[in-house]
Amino acid sequence: MAPLLVQNIWLVPVYSLIGAALSVIWFPSITRRTGPRPAGYINAGMTSLSFVHALLALPSTWNQPPYEVSFEWLNVAGLDLTIPVQVSSLTVGAIALVSGLNLLAQIFAIGYMEMDWGWARFYSLLALFEAGMTALVLCNSLFFSYMIMEVLTLATYLLLGFWFNQSLVVTGARDAFLTKRIGDLFLLMAVLAIYPLTGTWNFSEMALWATTAEVDPTVITLIGLGLIAGPMGKCAQFPLHLWLDEAMEGPIPSTILRNSVVVATGAWVLVKLEPILALSPFVLSTTIFIGAVTAVGGSLIALAQIDVKRTLSYLVSAYMGIVFIAVGAGQTEAALMLVFTHAISMALLIMSIGGIIWNSITQNVTQLGGLWSRRPMSGLAFIVGTVGLIAFPPFGSFWALLELVDGLRETHPWLVGVLLLVNVLTTFGLTRVFCLLFGGEAKLMAQRSPEVHWPMMLPMMVLLGFTLHVPLVLQACDLLPNWIAIDMSMALLLVGSSILGVSLSALIYLGNVVPKPVRFPVQSLQNLVAYDFYTPTLYRSSFVFGVDLISQITAWIDQYLVDGVVNLFGSVTIFSGQNLKYSTSGQSQSYALTILLGVVLLGFFLCFPLLTNMALVFAANFMHQTVG
Amino acid sequence: MLSTLIWLPLLGAAVMGFLPGTIAASRFRLGAIAIASVVLVWTAVLFTQFDISTATMQMQEYLPWIPTLGINYSLSVDGLSLPLVMLSNFLTLGVIYSAESLVAKGQVMQRPRLFYSLVFLINAGMAGALMAQNLLMFFLFYELELIPFYLLIVIWGGAKREYAGMKFLIYTATSGILILAAFLATVWLSGSGSFDYNAISTADLPQRTQLILLTLLLIGFGIKIPLIPLHTWLPDAYVEASTPTAILLGGVLAKLGTYGLVRFGIGLFPETWSLVTPALSWLAASCVIYGALAAIAQKDIKRMVAYSSIGHMGYVMLGMAALTPLSMVGAVSQMVSHGLILALLFYIVGVIEVKVGTRDLDVLNGLLNPIRGLPLTSSLLILAGMASAAIPGMVGFIAEFLVFQGSFTTFPLPTLLCVAGTGLTAVYFVILLNRTCFGRLDNKIAYYPRVTWKEQTPALILTGLIVFLGVQPTWLVRWSETTTAALAAAAPINRPIAINQPAISPNVSFTGIAQTLNSADRL
Repeated sequence: MAPLLVQNIWLVPVYSLIGAALSVIWFPSITRRTGPRPAGYINAGMTSLSFVHALLALPSTWNQPPYEVSFEWLNVAGLDLTIPVQVSSLTVGAIALVSGLNLLAQIFAIGYMEMDWGWARFYSLLALFEAGMTALVLCNSLFFSYMIMEVLTLATYLLLGFWFNQSLVVTGARDAFLTKRIGDLFLLMAVLAIYPLTGTWNFSEMALWATTAEVDPTVITLIGLGLIAGPMGKCAQFPLHLWLDEAMEGPIPSTILRNSVVVATGAWVLVKLEPILALSPFVLSTTIFIGAVTAVGGSLIALAQIDVKRTLSYLVSAYMGIVFIAVGAGQTEAALMLVFTHAISMALLIMSIGGIIWNSITQNVTQLGGLWSRRPMSGLAFIVGTVGLIAFPPFGSFWALLELVDGLRETHPWLVGVLLLVNVLTTFGLTRVFCLLFGGEAKLMAQRSPEVHWPMMLPMMVLLGFTLHVPLVLQACDLLPNWIAIDMSMALLLVGSSILGVSLSALIYLGNVVPKPVRFPVQSLQNLVAYDFYTPTLYRSSFVFGVDLISQITAWIDQYLVDGVVNLFGSVTIFSGQNLKYSTSGQSQSYALTILLGVVLLGFFLCFPLLTNMALVFAANFMHQTVG
Repeated sequence: MLSTLIWLPLLGAAVMGFLPGTIAASRFRLGAIAIASVVLVWTAVLFTQFDISTATMQMQEYLPWIPTLGINYSLSVDGLSLPLVMLSNFLTLGVIYSAESLVAKGQVMQRPRLFYSLVFLINAGMAGALMAQNLLMFFLFYELELIPFYLLIVIWGGAKREYAGMKFLIYTATSGILILAAFLATVWLSGSGSFDYNAISTADLPQRTQLILLTLLLIGFGIKIPLIPLHTWLPDAYVEASTPTAILLGGVLAKLGTYGLVRFGIGLFPETWSLVTPALSWLAASCVIYGALAAIAQKDIKRMVAYSSIGHMGYVMLGMAALTPLSMVGAVSQMVSHGLILALLFYIVGVIEVKVGTRDLDVLNGLLNPIRGLPLTSSLLILAGMASAAIPGMVGFIAEFLVFQGSFTTFPLPTLLCVAGTGLTAVYFVILLNRTCFGRLDNKIAYYPRVTWKEQTPALILTGLIVFLGVQPTWLVRWSETTTAALAAAAPINRPIAINQPAISPNVSFTGIAQTLNSADRL
């Protein structure tokens, strides 16, 4: 039974696709009588099927060599595009994570989207995401990963544009699509360029190739930069981070999935590409640099956001930045571990605030407060999500960060400082949100804000329990370090930074030391951070303006210059035709004269070669005579 | 066998044209659909008979016609022409099926008899041009396209139809003259007594002569494709033409340009072709970028789609310029995929125009609304736009990808520019989709008639085909693989390879390296 499930694990994406396809039946323009809800239940059922399949298959992959199978897709003109599928405990675990979180998000959506008419579209897109992500972890090929990432870009566009009536949603969807597309296209360039060198897109074979490769450093650097551009777009790294912020206009259940695992698709591909990236030191340091800038910048920006969803979305960028640092430093295991713990904790955090947003009407943190007495379970979920995300033993991310810090201490000591700073900022920011939401006096919008009903509470509680158990899962996977081998100084530094962040933030936001509302010491600094370092404005005045201007100029040239020349040519023809008609007077002499002139000209033209020869002959004669 | 594809539509055109006008228009439509279906089924039969393992001409038909002038009735197909014949016959059926419903609200179709017979004339001309193995015969059919298209534009077109039609006529006539000149000169100078394709050998011609002849062909066919800066007839013709005409113009006629270049440019002057390819690759890249940039600035969705066509034909040009087996397969696939996608785009734009009454980006809004908008049509528009922007899973991606991968080693920079061009394509399609499909529907004016299933059918079939060929591209590439490989092999090109890094590794069993070395040898 179990080996059969392992061999057929590639069916998991198919389940989701079947669910997505069946949803079409309940589009409002097709079926109205039943309402759109059956689509949701079908998709949740399909996702449960995937989840159970992965869970049952997981034990038999344990300590086994990866099971590999391939499907021929296209074989043309010497280009062999076979889909290599690799089934290991890692990939099956990732499938279980993705489908499990999607199942929770779908149940959450049953409550959150209670009154929405777009269920069929929403659930089919969630299913498309699930199919894409599970296929991504299964396929062991850069080319197919690229394909899936492009499809997910389209899916992001559609899912983000779910409430397409709202103008912010429309612009958000546009920006998300274009930003991710930019990353994807650089990735495509690298995909094209790397094939002539490696002769394969299979990750394992490329890694093998990389061990002995002798390549032009410039070429491999350019390729490496292209390769990290795709994950940069997916993981919302500076400067392609803008879309994740705008993506917060979408519905919360999709945010649960997106902020936890969809962004991690980029990290997954990055981890897979690490052997290739390692061929160029410049690429590695660029990866680290981008990650560091995003980690610090993202956690800083989150401090000044008043939209509760945005306070979390920038932290996602920041954590993905840490993953970039980890991959850049060669710490792929720590990277994957952090992706896992981050996904769980972030999903829990978003569920917690999702319920609050749902029946508090607002998502502005300055208008809420005092919710602890009204919604203790949501508060608890937020706390557990926070301790799961920051470096707080014994919870999940602590171990990932500890492993990362351990690895970095020797090679990149300054990065340890960066990580500690990011941890302080993240902790500070999350505590700030907690204090503003749950602490203090209840403000206007928080007066009547009870806990939500079961479809949202159930997944929240399940995930809360799981977050608490993450350390046990890590232990079961042998991912926890030996107690003796732990570097106490690093562990203490991490814990210390967390405590510093929490206490500082609690002091400021709960205590009476600082006047409320809390502001940055300098107003311009506050604005700089609150407006995301003015990145949107920067983009608008540079790239958007540039493309718009160039396209306007092109259209102008096309209309007036290129077409103008053609029209001018036409006008001249007509004009000369019009004029010429006055020269036809009807007198036969003039016709005869014209004909004669024409014949003479023609004759001259035909005799021209002869005449030139004649001239030569004459000249020669003349010369001869004069000389002679 | 092949003659059926020419003579049946011609017969259809004649029957349609001479039937008494008292018969109801719906009867004409049914009759026309029947004829077009028979032609399509016959093409499908040809596919079953077609041998994909050989690059030679198949199903030859030969009949001496005017031997003294070297004109013979000679037809046959290979992997290059057969998919295009299929495309042409398929789109013709679609156009005939849908022409009736694509007229403005409250109107009936004008002069259906003439319309159907002109469409059949075009169909016959396309089939003839694609299958002709005699230069003059090709030219005959090539010119035969011109008059029906001109009439289709000026009779059923939009407001500026006469201007657009005249421009189209002048441009294409020039194209015809240049091609005729090139053909005549080629045959006379090379001293072969016949215009038969196989009888011509240009190997003895001096290179300068070849270059001049090839340039003539390039300009002649370049007008048809169109390449910049010879493209200005296109936006006007596509936009002013009615939707069915636009589908035929963009989906079918433009392919004749690229087909002609492959068949006669590469086929007759293989060595000289390699001289011009570096320039051609840059020209292709500029077509892509130029078309996309011009499309971004448009306010009329049909005009946007028209400009997108310029960009997408650029990918075909790039593949033809690189002339590797892979890029040539990509180029042929891109011709078919562009034909399908452009037809779908024009069709949906036509439906929107009929239902909503405008094509203005600033007026259209919120069509995805499930109750009062056009939800299914706008969903298909999203898919079509994304297919055009080369999102994987649809046929546009795989065609363009094959072109890119095939051309990259030969022309890295133009290829990368073209990849950037797909990004710009995404920009204008996102603008288009955001404005038309997303947004808030204006409740005051949103009383649109429902799109009936009859009207949805062509779009659904096209979408199905685009997705199917995107998921199963083997069905698209297998027909042309052998032929294009032979074409690429026939051109003895010794080009400098821009990126030449065969992997150095002691691990010989590593199959990828062997492949790289093989491909390096091939180049």
